[in-house]
Amino acid sequence: MIASADDEPMVHGTLMAGFAQACINLNIVAGRQVNELLRDLDVGQWYPLRRWFQLEQLIGATYQHIDPIRLKLGIEMMTLWYHRGPGREVVRRGADFLHFQTGSTGIVSVIRGPQGLVGSFDLREFDAEAGRAVIHSTTPFHRKIECGVLIGGLLAPGDLDYVDVHNDGDPNLLVVEFH
Amino acid sequence: MARLEDILEQGDVNEVHSLARVELERLFWKYKGLRKQVERDTAFWQATNDTLKNAYEKLDEQERELARAYQTIRQDLEIAQQVQHALLPEQFPDMLAQLELAVYHKQLTEVGGDYYDFFRTRAGAYAIGLFDISGHGVSAALIMAFLKAQFMQTMEQVERPKDIVERVNAASLDFLREVRRYATVNFVVFAEQSIRYVCGGGYGVLVRGGEIHNFSKGDPYIGLRRRPYTEFELSFYAGDLLALYTDGMVEGQNAAGEDYGSRRLNNLLSTHAAEPVDDILRRCVDDYREFRRSDSDDITLILLRRRVV
Repeated sequence: MIASADDEPMVHGTLMAGFAQACINLNIVAGRQVNELLRDLDVGQWYPLRRWFQLEQLIGATYQHIDPIRLKLGIEMMTLWYHRGPGREVVRRGADFLHFQTGSTGIVSVIRGPQGLVGSFDLREFDAEAGRAVIHSTTPFHRKIECGVLIGGLLAPGDLDYVDVHNDGDPNLLVVEFH
Repeated sequence: MARLEDILEQGDVNEVHSLARVELERLFWKYKGLRKQVERDTAFWQATNDTLKNAYEKLDEQERELARAYQTIRQDLEIAQQVQHALLPEQFPDMLAQLELAVYHKQLTEVGGDYYDFFRTRAGAYAIGLFDISGHGVSAALIMAFLKAQFMQTMEQVERPKDIVERVNAASLDFLREVRRYATVNFVVFAEQSIRYVCGGGYGVLVRGGEIHNFSKGDPYIGLRRRPYTEFELSFYAGDLLALYTDGMVEGQNAAGEDYGSRRLNNLLSTHAAEPVDDILRRCVDDYREFRRSDSDDITLILLRRRVV
C-alpha cells in the first residue's frame, strides 16, 4: 500500500516514452489517444508509477484480449531501445541482455522508490549451454510486458534463432528459452 | 562443410545433406524461432482484429441508428413542407379583377424561409406581405405559421400598414428572440390609386413610364427590436408595375462571384414594363438563370399591375 506521495515509486521518462512509442508504432492507439500518451512527456524526468498504469489502462480499455498485445509491446520497446536507442552499445549478444536487464543498469534503473514497492528482477538460473534461464520478478510491471521485453532484448542483436519466455507456472518466474 | 547461410541463400534443398550436425541444429532452431514468431504475431493480430470486429459492429449499429434518425428527420421535413405549402395563399378572384399578378417562388431546400401572403384589411382593401424568415427547415415553417396567424389576427383590429406591422412585431418579439429568428418585411396595402407600404429589409420597386421608384427600406426586421415603423405612400395608377422581391435573386452570383443585383433586375422591369406580367416574370427569371452559377437562397419575385378599368 502506498502510504503517501513520498512512498510512490517513480518510473523514468525513457521507459514511458518507449512504451508510448511502441504503442504508436504498432498502431494500437490512434488520434486523441496518441496525444494523451505523449502529453507532457519528458524523457529526462521521473514520473509517478500511476502514470505508467494510466498508459497501460489506455490500452487495456481498448482491447478485450490484451496479453498478446502486451507481449508485442514489450518486444517492440526493446527493439526500439536496441536499434534506435543505446542498446547496441550496451549489449552485443542476445544472452548478454539477460545479465544486463537483471543487473543494476537494467530494469531496476528505470524505477525507483521503496524497495517493497519497486520489487526486484533477479536472474535465478542461467545455462548458456542448455539455452535456459529463469528470472524471478516482483516488480510492479505486468509480467506479459516483461516477457515481451526479454524476448525483444534477446532477439535484437540477431545472434539467436529462437527465443521464448513464459510464466505458465509461477507467474513471478519467467522461464527463458534461447538458442 | 557447407554453411547454413550459404545454402539458404542459394536455395538448393539438396545441399542440406552436406550440413554438419551443428548447422542442422541451427536450422532446427531457426525454424522453431520462425514458428514462434508467427504464433506471437498471429495472437497479436487476432487480438487487434477482435477489437476491430467489435468496432465495426458498433459502427454498424450507429449507422443503423443514424439511418433511423435521418428517416425521422425526412418525415418531419415532408410534413413541414406540406404545412408550408398549405400556408401559401390562394389568390382572391376579386383581387385579380383589379390587379394582374405573377409570382415566382422557389425554395432552396424542402422547407425554405421565404413566405408571401395575400390579405384583406378590415375595411376590405387588398394587402400583400412578403417575408424572408431567417433559417430554413422545420423552424421556418413554424415561424411562417406563427406570422400568418399574427397578421390575420392583427388585421381584424387595425387598418394602417404601419399599425399592423408594429403590432405584429410587438406580439412576435419575445417569441422570435427566444428562437433566435427574425424576418424581413414588405407589407403593401392597395388603395384606389395608391399603395401604402412598410418595408424592413425587403425589396420593392414601382415602375411608371420608364421611371423606377425604389421602396424606402429603412424599417426594422420583424423580431429584432421594438421600434416604430414608418409608412410610405406611392401613387399606383392603372398600368403601373409593382415588383416585390426577397434578396435571393439579387444576391445570386455568377461564376466570377458577381451579384446579379437589384439594378439589373430593376432595369429589366423598366425595359419590359408594358408587357404582360407573366412575360415580364419569365424574362426576369430566364435572365437570372442564365447569369447565376447556382441558387444559394430561396427566391421570390412578385409582380403586380393595376388593370385599366
